[in-house]
Amino acid sequence: MWEIRRYPALWLLPALLPVALMTLYPVAYALWTSLHSVMLLFPGEPFVGLDNYLRVIQSNYFQDALTNSLAFTAAAAPLVVVLGTLIALFLRRRFFGVQVVRSIVLLPWVLPGAISAVLWIWVFHPSFGVLNGLLRDLHLIEGSIGWLTSPRLAFVSVVVAHVWTQIPFTVVLVMAALAAINPETLEAAAIDCKSAWRRFWYVIFPEIKAMIVVLIVYNALTAFTSYDLVYAMTGGGPGTATTLLSFQIWRESFSMYDFGAGSAVAFIVVLISAVLILAITRALPSDLFGSE
Amino acid sequence: MAGRANPWTTGLFAALILLFTGGPVLLSLLGSLIPDRVLLDQGSSLFAEGLNFDGYRYVFTGELPRAYQAENANRAMISDAARQVPASLVNSGIIALSAMVLNILLGAPAAFLFARYLFPGKKLSFLFLILSPLVPAVALVTPIYIMLQSMGLLGTRTGIILVHTARALPFTVLILSVFFRKMPAELFEAATLDHCSRFQVFWRIALPLALPSIGATGLFAFMLSYSEYMFAMVLSGDAGARPVSVVMAALARNTDVSWSLLNTAIFIAIVPTLVLVVLVWRFVVEGLLSGSVKG
Repeated sequence: MWEIRRYPALWLLPALLPVALMTLYPVAYALWTSLHSVMLLFPGEPFVGLDNYLRVIQSNYFQDALTNSLAFTAAAAPLVVVLGTLIALFLRRRFFGVQVVRSIVLLPWVLPGAISAVLWIWVFHPSFGVLNGLLRDLHLIEGSIGWLTSPRLAFVSVVVAHVWTQIPFTVVLVMAALAAINPETLEAAAIDCKSAWRRFWYVIFPEIKAMIVVLIVYNALTAFTSYDLVYAMTGGGPGTATTLLSFQIWRESFSMYDFGAGSAVAFIVVLISAVLILAITRALPSDLFGSE
Repeated sequence: MAGRANPWTTGLFAALILLFTGGPVLLSLLGSLIPDRVLLDQGSSLFAEGLNFDGYRYVFTGELPRAYQAENANRAMISDAARQVPASLVNSGIIALSAMVLNILLGAPAAFLFARYLFPGKKLSFLFLILSPLVPAVALVTPIYIMLQSMGLLGTRTGIILVHTARALPFTVLILSVFFRKMPAELFEAATLDHCSRFQVFWRIALPLALPSIGATGLFAFMLSYSEYMFAMVLSGDAGARPVSVVMAALARNTDVSWSLLNTAIFIAIVPTLVLVVLVWRFVVEGLLSGSVKG
C-alpha cells in the first residue's frame, strides 16, 4: 500500500460521480418533493410540510401494505439465508457433476424478475399449473388448489418465487466465506469432532457468522423493497393480500400523478431501509473485502 | 466438508437443488414445444399431438402456428409482443454491452486505487460506494425519470445505459479491487523503483495482467443490466428502445396469450442468460472464491 497525500479525484470521480448522480441527487429530490405538493394537474409546487406523509399514513392502503411488506420480509429473508447456506455447504463437497449443479444454481440470478414471475405462474397456475397437475396425478388432491387466488396461498407462492430469485447471490457469498476458512481449522475439526452438526455449529458457523448477518440484513432489504416479481405474479391481489409498500410509490406517482405523496411513500421506504443499512454497517466487519 | 458422504444422499440433495433452481426453466422449455391443445384440453395427450416448433417459427418469421390458421381460431391468443422479442434482444445486447464497457472504463482506475493506495477520504469513498446500491431502486425511479426527462433522454437507449452503468459501478469497483489486490505486490514495487508514474503502473502493468478478471467483471455488469427491469420499463417508454425484460413483462401480463408462445418467448430470452451463467460462474465466481482464500 502506497500513500497519496491529496485526494486522487481524477481516478475516483469517474466512478463516484455517476453513482452519486443516480443515488444522492434522487434521494435529495425525493425528500424535497415529499415536502411539497407536486401534482401534474395543478401548477405551482407549494410547501406543505408533512402533509403528504400524514395523508399517506392515514390512507386506507397504508396499514395493509406495510404489514404485508414486513411479513414478506420476515418470511423471505431468513428462508433465503438458511436455504442458501445449506446449498452452499453442500456444494463445497466434491462429487460427480458438482460443476453442473453449481452453474444451474446461478440460473435464477440472471433472469429478469418478469421472466421469473411467468415461470412461477406456470408452476402455481390454478387450472393448468404444474404443481396442481403433479398433486392430481399423485392422487393427493381431487380438484385444484387456488395457489394464486386464495389470499394466504398467494402470499406463500410469492414468497417461494422471491426466495428462488435470491438464492444464487446468497449461495455465492456463503461459498466465498467458506472458502476463506483456514483449511487447517477444518482438518482439526474433522479429527476432534465426529458429529457433522456439532462441527458446523462450533467450528464453521462462527467463521461465517459475519457473512450470515450481512446476508440476512441484505436480504431483508431486498425483500422489503422488491417490486417487479410480486407485482408481475399477482398484481398485489387477491384483494390486498400481496400488496407491498413499494407498489404504492408507483401507484401514487404514475397512476394518481401525485408525485408528492409518491415521494413520501418512497421516503418512508428509504427511512425503514436506512435502519436496516445502519444494522448492516454495524455488523459489517471492516475487513470484509480484505485489507491484506 | 470432505466428500465421504453416502453417494445416494448426495445424489438426492443434488437432484433436489437442481429441481428447485432449474425446474421452472426446464418447464418453460417443455411448454414452448407442447401445443396449447395438450395443455388446455384434458382429452388430448402429448403423445397424440407431438412436440412442435411452431412457436419459434412464429417469433422469428411471423408465420402463424398451424393450430391458429384454422378459420375460427382465437387469434387474440397470438400476441404481437412475441414478435418484438428478437428486436428487444438486440436492444438488450446494445444496452448491456455499453453498460459493460462504460463500467470497465470508469471503474477500473478507481478499483486500482482502492486496491493499492492509501489516500485521504478512502474509507468514506469506499463506504459511499458499498452503501449506495442499498438505496432501494423503487425510491429512485421517480426522480431519475424526471431528471432524464429534463435531459431529453426518455425513450432512448442512452438513458437506460446511463442508469444501468451507475447501478452496476459499485459492484464493478468492488470486484475489480479484489482482483487487483490478488496481484503480487512485487510487480508494482519493481515498476515504482523504475520510476514509472502511477498511471504507467496502472496502464502498462496492472491492466494487461488483470485483463481476464476485467472481462469477468464486465460480464457481471452485463448481467446486471440484462436482467434489470424497473428502470428499463419506466425509461424506455413506448419507443423502440425496449429491452427484453420489458417486452417479456408485457407478454406475461397479457392473460389471453398462448402458453406455448409465451414459453417460446421466455426460452428465447433465456438462452443468452444460460450462456452467461456458465461464463459468469467460470470467470467471476471461481475467481472471487480463489481470491478470498488468499485475502
